[in-house]
Amino acid sequence: MWDIAGSADTLRARTFVAAIALLSVALVVQVSIVARLGLPGGRLDLVLVLLAAISLIEGPLVGAVSGFVVGVLADLASSHVLGQSALVMCLIGYAVGLVMDAAERSVAVPLGATAGACVAGTLGYAATTSIFGEAALTGGEAVIRALAAGVYAVLLTPFLFPLLAAGSRRLSGRPRRGGR
Amino acid sequence: MGRDTRRSRLVIVALLIAAFTLITLDYKTGRSASGARGVVHSVLGGVEAGVTAVTRPIGRTASSLGHPNRYHDRADRLAQENAGLRRQLADNAAVGRMSKQLGELRLIADKGQYSIVPARVIAVGDVSGTDWTVTINAGRDDGVDVDKTVLDADGLVGTVSSATAHTAAVRLACDPGSRVGARLERTQLLGAVAGGQGPSTLTFTLYDASYRVQKGDRLVTFGSMDYVAGVPIGVITKVTDVGGLSRTAEVKPFVSVGTLDLVGVVVGRPAADPGDRLLAPQPVPTTQPAPAAPAAQPPAAGTTTPGTIVPGTTVPDASTAGTTTPGTTTAGPIRSGQGGTG
Repeated sequence: MWDIAGSADTLRARTFVAAIALLSVALVVQVSIVARLGLPGGRLDLVLVLLAAISLIEGPLVGAVSGFVVGVLADLASSHVLGQSALVMCLIGYAVGLVMDAAERSVAVPLGATAGACVAGTLGYAATTSIFGEAALTGGEAVIRALAAGVYAVLLTPFLFPLLAAGSRRLSGRPRRGGR
Repeated sequence: MGRDTRRSRLVIVALLIAAFTLITLDYKTGRSASGARGVVHSVLGGVEAGVTAVTRPIGRTASSLGHPNRYHDRADRLAQENAGLRRQLADNAAVGRMSKQLGELRLIADKGQYSIVPARVIAVGDVSGTDWTVTINAGRDDGVDVDKTVLDADGLVGTVSSATAHTAAVRLACDPGSRVGARLERTQLLGAVAGGQGPSTLTFTLYDASYRVQKGDRLVTFGSMDYVAGVPIGVITKVTDVGGLSRTAEVKPFVSVGTLDLVGVVVGRPAADPGDRLLAPQPVPTTQPAPAAPAAQPPAAGTTTPGTIVPGTTVPDASTAGTTTPGTTTAGPIRSGQGGTG
């Protein structure tokens, strides 16, 4: 589908598989472990944090596609309308991927982008649920939960982001990210 | 790699169209645990059960590790031994906690003469956090089926919304789509309890406007096709509407969603309505002497002792039925078809 020359093709396939596998693991960890922690104020959204980090490192295309695939998987595992988290996660992956270049200039950009992704994603989930199904949260609750998710994202990103960047570098075999 | 090129824009447009197509199709056809959804449910359920089984002991031993020491050999051996002993202690504590939970669950099932299948919560909600469901590790093979009532030692949890062979999803009572027929304690007045106000608030609507609902009144399920009767729901915290044809009030559920662990699925309903006897005995007012109440308080919380039973209970044998009915709790996949048609 996305025809780029030669060996880059296998590299790209590997990136997609790795991103989707990582996010699928996060999916299970989210509902079985993180959701049981009972964090104050809201919840840490591990999947959105990982998705944002992956999009920042690999760009909007990987972000959008892996977000979509994992979103569909999450929808299948849940009881709400099929496709609603796919919609939100695909948009988040794409939007965060757009600031990929800026992420290399400053440390604040990944932090801000991840937090923003979690806030927007949580609000997006609440909005899509109230549009396609029955509202699970009132507006105020949704905002509080979104802000809590953002704060937890800021706390988690400094640990996750370097790990993922290193992983991406290993995967591609490049000495420095990007090679530009 | 992929910048905001024309290709990536094409891809996102295609994905958005796909997402909306999925939403449209699924919105029209309704949702059930069959087909692809059923496969994902059962696969993920298995993985979740595994993850939960693995992480529980890790969480327990995490605290017993990580004490650095310089005398390597001896210290290592001692540390290992120590960690082993701590793990054993923690295991014992976990077993004790588990058996206490099971005991409480069994007690409430005996009081109501329900046949239950015990199960553990293995996942809470879904990834987006907008689903008020939990996943439990019992399924069709254990006799769990759609629309069965789920309770824990404190009261009503919800109903089974979908079931696979070994797991089931439980729709919590606080889900916006959930409506439960409820009865006020000590009366036969009927109302409905609905969710949608977040995890710790339910809305109670009493259909009889002539009755004065009061703060502190407690609710049990009324019982219908889906619900067994007499399961405690919660206590009224605030009366919000006193005019009109019905009265509404806010209800604080007895069950806290955050701490759900061991639950029971009611697979067999009692022959007779258990009335109010599942409610914990209310603190007796000091002006009224309570005979024999303080003398022998059993260790298990919530036990109905003679003398502390609420006056005016509809069932006369409420004080004895609690502990003398044997064999109504099933510990495994048995007695699935015992009258509970759902």
